[in-house]
Amino acid sequence: MAELANQAPGSPAQQIDEAKRRKLLELVRGRALARPTDLAEDEVMVWPSLVVVEAVSAVVFLGILTVLSILVNAPLLDRANPNQTPNPSKAPWYFLNLQEMLLHMDAGLAGVIVPTIALVAIAAIPYFDRSPLGVGILGTSTKGRKIIAFSTVFTTIVLIGMILLDEVIGRGTQFGIGRYAQEELGMPEWVGGIILSSIIMIGAIGTMVVMIQRMFRPTRRELIIALFTGFFVTYWVLAISGTSFRGEGQMLTWPWNLPLEHH
Amino acid sequence: MRREQTLADRITGSALWRSVVRHGYPDTQRNQALIIASNVFLHIHPVKIKRYATKVTYTFCLGGLSFFMFLVLVMTGVLLMFYYIPSSEGAYQSMKDIEASVSFGQLMRNMHRWSAQGMVIAVFLHMGRVFYTGSYKPPREFNWVIGVLLLVTTFLLSFTGYLLPWDQLAYWAITVGSEIGGAAPIVGPQVNRILLGDFQIGQSTLIRFYTLHVIFLPLVAAFLMAVHFWRIRKDGGISGPL
Repeated sequence: MAELANQAPGSPAQQIDEAKRRKLLELVRGRALARPTDLAEDEVMVWPSLVVVEAVSAVVFLGILTVLSILVNAPLLDRANPNQTPNPSKAPWYFLNLQEMLLHMDAGLAGVIVPTIALVAIAAIPYFDRSPLGVGILGTSTKGRKIIAFSTVFTTIVLIGMILLDEVIGRGTQFGIGRYAQEELGMPEWVGGIILSSIIMIGAIGTMVVMIQRMFRPTRRELIIALFTGFFVTYWVLAISGTSFRGEGQMLTWPWNLPLEHH
Repeated sequence: MRREQTLADRITGSALWRSVVRHGYPDTQRNQALIIASNVFLHIHPVKIKRYATKVTYTFCLGGLSFFMFLVLVMTGVLLMFYYIPSSEGAYQSMKDIEASVSFGQLMRNMHRWSAQGMVIAVFLHMGRVFYTGSYKPPREFNWVIGVLLLVTTFLLSFTGYLLPWDQLAYWAITVGSEIGGAAPIVGPQVNRILLGDFQIGQSTLIRFYTLHVIFLPLVAAFLMAVHFWRIRKDGGISGPL
């Protein structure tokens, strides 16, 4: 077989002598004997082993969904009225993290540039981390799981801290640091909204990377785990903050003081 | 010794039955293989699979649930389309009608709403599962990119559907959402105009969102899902420990 494979492409088939041709035929016939039902040690038949899992989970989920839909009605407020702006006006909850960011920096940076960079970076992950190590193991390793825990705690604390800091510096107004830089220090709007905000975001991420480098000596995969966890946690922390802690005029408030139901 | 033919035997032995179902009862490995290979809906699966790939605590069924919710959304969505009127004059009233006078209308709407929210969560968590198990690594890197596109498509599907009830919640959520899109540097105003089809949300916005929501984006999602599922098999099945 190896001899055949090593022949220059396009060389005439007649060169294969009769004995070799017989051997080749035997090889082909041998392969045909392998049936689709030949199971290896670590294999199972999809029917029933996988199909049962799929069917049961579909039925269980459909049951949960039906019960939920019987018990809880989808919201329907008053007819749309362009002349009556509700306070607060909120985007769908899965975009409220972007809306939360809008409170702290330039709209283009918060709503478009940062999410675009995040999505492109996520899509590019497999082109940076190409080692097959850790496939199939949740968090890659014990160290990986420690890094996930560290990144989760770090990101949560930094995000909540920055939201509160903006609230204190801005004395209850939006764009806390940006507005402070503009009104108290006389800087142009874009310095606070774009430059300062970018420095703070990059600084926060950079600090986490340096800390993880020092504490864990991570592999490339583990460093990417830290960054992805940072994104994952940021998405949900900001979405929860925007959904449950932003009341009238997008001011910080407790969830039970929220004026309108939002779904 | 031949056992007596039961009614079930006669039915499954009939020419009509055999013309539809080409394999015997799946209690032998041969028939278990045939049932997967000869059924257009099941043949998305391989015939056999690694044992770890059936472990629920590995996948948490998240990818499967995302797809299942997509199917629920298509079914309930088609039913809602029979009654929903995509006009700024009639949309809100047709929502009221669906809730008050259509049989199971409220239930259909609730199921559509909650699966839409559930799908966003499931797709997002599925991304997390795939990431934390390192399943994006070669040879699956392109399928990961397809997955990111599916996440974006899911967001857009949910976002375009959000406007359709034409209530205050819908109207102002889309106002805020399209303002976020309109904040893009350089192309912002154009993005906003393309989204709204006008200077503010109105009939032209509603028909755009409706068309995107009921036909264009579902087709995009179906196309991407076809690639996504096909690539799972071509890249060696779902990932597992080496």
